[in-house]
Amino acid sequence: MNSAIGTPRLYLRAAAVCIAICMAWSPAISLAADPSNLEGTWKISVPQASFSPDGGSIPFTAMGRQQYEENKLSLAKGDYDAYDMANARCASPGLPRLMLTPNRFRIWQRPGLIEFQFEWNRLTREIILSDLIPQTRIGGIGPKDEELVGRAVPLAKGYWHGDTLVVSTEGFDGTALVDNLVPHGSHLKLTERIRLKTRNTLEDRIRIEDAEYFTQPWEAVVTYRRQADEAFPEDVCLDRLAPGKPTL
Amino acid sequence: MANNKTSTVRIGFAEAAGEAQTSAMSRALIATSCICLIYSGAALAQSGPGGVSPQSADNRASGPADSTAPPGGAGPGGRRPNGAEPRESVAAPLAANAPEPTADPHDLDGVWLHDSLLVFQNSADMFGKRTPFTTAGRKVATRRVMSYKLGTPYINASARCLPPGQPWQMDLNFPFRIFQSKDRFDILFQEYHGYWEISMNAAKAPPAGYMGRSIGHWDGNTLVVETTGFKQGLWIDVDGTPVSKNAKLEQRIRKVHTDHWYLEDVFTLDDPTYYTRPWSWVRDYSWRPDMAVTAEYNCELQTGEKDGLDTSLIPEPENSQRTLPRKASRQIEGLRL
Repeated sequence: MNSAIGTPRLYLRAAAVCIAICMAWSPAISLAADPSNLEGTWKISVPQASFSPDGGSIPFTAMGRQQYEENKLSLAKGDYDAYDMANARCASPGLPRLMLTPNRFRIWQRPGLIEFQFEWNRLTREIILSDLIPQTRIGGIGPKDEELVGRAVPLAKGYWHGDTLVVSTEGFDGTALVDNLVPHGSHLKLTERIRLKTRNTLEDRIRIEDAEYFTQPWEAVVTYRRQADEAFPEDVCLDRLAPGKPTL
Repeated sequence: MANNKTSTVRIGFAEAAGEAQTSAMSRALIATSCICLIYSGAALAQSGPGGVSPQSADNRASGPADSTAPPGGAGPGGRRPNGAEPRESVAAPLAANAPEPTADPHDLDGVWLHDSLLVFQNSADMFGKRTPFTTAGRKVATRRVMSYKLGTPYINASARCLPPGQPWQMDLNFPFRIFQSKDRFDILFQEYHGYWEISMNAAKAPPAGYMGRSIGHWDGNTLVVETTGFKQGLWIDVDGTPVSKNAKLEQRIRKVHTDHWYLEDVFTLDDPTYYTRPWSWVRDYSWRPDMAVTAEYNCELQTGEKDGLDTSLIPEPENSQRTLPRKASRQIEGLRL
């Protein structure tokens, strides 16, 4: 009697051990449980053209407010060329607006580098971690090329604070917008705290600073839902470009 | 295989900069390439004075073999059997302590750089035979060269910031990154913020676009990629050597180790519209883990003024030379590429 009961228990224990070994061995399963593994395909949870500031309204300076109001007037006229190069010409929306694109993006993690691959017009974003291999240059002493010229999507530096990826981005060229209307200049500084809220929810808390346009830093939070891992179709914004019609 | 005579024709820098007849939108590319070459400072001394300089560096006559040995069969770190240098490089050498890729020939993940001299015109195949133009192919190629000589170069994909197709995209001296996953290769390029996806499962491949639709499979240790369905015809080089949208492009890509790691990519173009037979050329891409960071290529912003294009560029006629002056048309008839 006892042995009859004991045999199934033995099988169960053996099965449990096997499952545990398999889980530990399988990279796919173990990575899925790793909170610092952001890899996957993501899409914004709630499509939105603009950021909703945490705790109230955007603290514009007088110049920032004036530019914002002018942008609103241009939008009402459909005159994107006056203020929004992404919609007018398919130029890069820049950061942080790129994080609002309605299409998917994919995150790749490699040693020293986290790469965002956006479906929208095939754009990318790179976050450098401390262990990135420095580029070999002939006679290469002094600032690197990428540090000399502002960009719509500047190189970002990141580090892990527990399960949160903290990302600092500076070096903007001032050609893009914060979102569909909010202006910024070349002194914009972003600090993002990116983390897995759940296995299938990615959160990006974005702190926005630019003393020319805002009286104080302000924050917005955007979440993304995990998507199936599929190839992105080739997206060419220029094929959608038409006067007075938004492409983003 | 090692005894087969082959040559990869490359254009010397002096000719490329001074004499090669370059066509539409090539000036910007030439300038960029020159900056790269000057900046890197290497290899120019090796290239010698101008002129087309066939080099017998590559013994690739019977196509790529399924091995990580170099095409000519030289061992790691050694020269190829004919004594020639394995290849010329125009980039700064990789640091000695840089990490190496895995030895797994099926693992192509990483950053790679085409660091050989830019070929402005594919005037011969990888075996040294002249590019096998049909009459129509020669006509288009000649027209494009002449359009530049006449100061009215044609608009092409790169001028419009559109994806230019694999041969052009992969011929530029800029790094690209391969992200490899179970069913796919996602390849990201700095230039034109290019994206090329190779699907290992045809059922999951996205629709064809400017880069066509690429389906891959492993043939031993060689990744064979067939691309069809191009949205429009391509220029495969700066001079405008043409590809019709009905072409089939095959690429045989393999990971090789000699004194360094690189990818060998043998392109074979089957395009009866412009060529009398399928023909092949080869390119190498060095392992460059130090070039993971790319520069921004905000092309659309730069070309967004008014009509979006340099005013000296003109649309290319489909199948006539009517937009060229009569004298130029006569010149084209007399010109042989």
